[in-house]
Amino acid sequence: MGEERRRFEEIFLPFLDAAYNLARWIVQHDQDAQDIVQEAYMRAFKGYHGFRGGNGRAWLLTIVRNTAYTWINRHAADEKLVPYEEEKHAAIISFNQPGSEIVIEKRKEYLQSALERLSTEFREIIILYELEGLSYKELALTLGLPVGTVMSRLSRARRRLQQEFAQVRNSEAANEL
Amino acid sequence: MNCDEVRRFLDAYVDGELDLTHQLDVETHLTGCPDCQEAADQIANFSSLVRMDMEVYDAPRGLKSKIRTSLRKESEPKFAWFFEYSRPLAYAAAVLVLSFALAWAWVTLSPSKDQDLVAEAISNHSRSLMVSHLVDCRSSDLQTVRPWFNGKLDYSPPVVELNQAGYTLVGGRVDILENRPVAAIVYQRGKQIINLFVWPATRRKIDMDVRSERGYQFCGWNQAGLNYLCISEMSGDDLEKFEDQVREHLSL
Repeated sequence: MGEERRRFEEIFLPFLDAAYNLARWIVQHDQDAQDIVQEAYMRAFKGYHGFRGGNGRAWLLTIVRNTAYTWINRHAADEKLVPYEEEKHAAIISFNQPGSEIVIEKRKEYLQSALERLSTEFREIIILYELEGLSYKELALTLGLPVGTVMSRLSRARRRLQQEFAQVRNSEAANEL
Repeated sequence: MNCDEVRRFLDAYVDGELDLTHQLDVETHLTGCPDCQEAADQIANFSSLVRMDMEVYDAPRGLKSKIRTSLRKESEPKFAWFFEYSRPLAYAAAVLVLSFALAWAWVTLSPSKDQDLVAEAISNHSRSLMVSHLVDCRSSDLQTVRPWFNGKLDYSPPVVELNQAGYTLVGGRVDILENRPVAAIVYQRGKQIINLFVWPATRRKIDMDVRSERGYQFCGWNQAGLNYLCISEMSGDDLEKFEDQVREHLSL
């Protein structure tokens, strides 16, 4: 009985960071993301018999994603889901930093805001592709979509992100004037 | 392909996800169309910007052990819900089921082989504490303890360093379990000593969740062809943590 648990842990605990990152990006809240990941691991463990080997990472991320959506639906009415933290938008950047670092910091900040502005649907596909490195095929499995739809959704998500990024940057620039 | 068609496939092209025919079609188009080439470059640039600058959230410390704990609870047999029903009938049923479960657990979970093994390991452990024969090779240095086992055993036991987790390596010795020489690796945490026995799982694999016997706690598992059995007087919870640490380091 312990053997199965240990095997499961050996296969899936190495993906904990990826799982947390995905949940964190979907719900944008640390504690909620932790609860989701914990619940997802329990679900994965119960469904472990259904795992036929292959890409454990994509399999686990699928469960994390589904758990996150169940979570969102369950808590839709609650105040608990905080969309994002205010302080990030009021971040003050020290002027002692060398120029290039300020630029990079700024760019990260814009990207963060731009991502937060995306719909969950777009945000998750960006995370899964750009960060978690899933292939189109794996995306199709994880999202339950045909590969053709994955292709067009990723493409639209990127255009949208780029627009939001430009918009955040422009409005910041306007504020500074 | 005209520009509109190419644009539809451009992301997949940049991602290297197109089938060969489409890939070649897009490529041919791009060599003759600076606009589309420019768009492709932009996609690639923005994608690498995202990868570079996007915040990656690492799981907070402590989440892993929380998950391990819930997984342990999950894999334990559950009887707790019986007690929520206070009706006598439920009690009667519970008693029945429990006695069957206990009988079953007794038969399947503690085969006499395990019993013998544990008894042997416990006496090794307590002897190692009593007659000041804890280790034959006293060193907290992996590079000393690891090679020390060479030639004394017909396998090389992996010795891991757990300083960061609060367990000091005391050293190693050769002990006997099930009539064969096995590696005993000794760790210390505070005043508590842990004996970790390691030997090849040629005859059988062991698998024991934390249990207590004669005042000692022990647990055993199988990993990469080796059996691991650890014994200590520390609490069961603490020993579970030790097990987690060892397994974690072994799989690195």
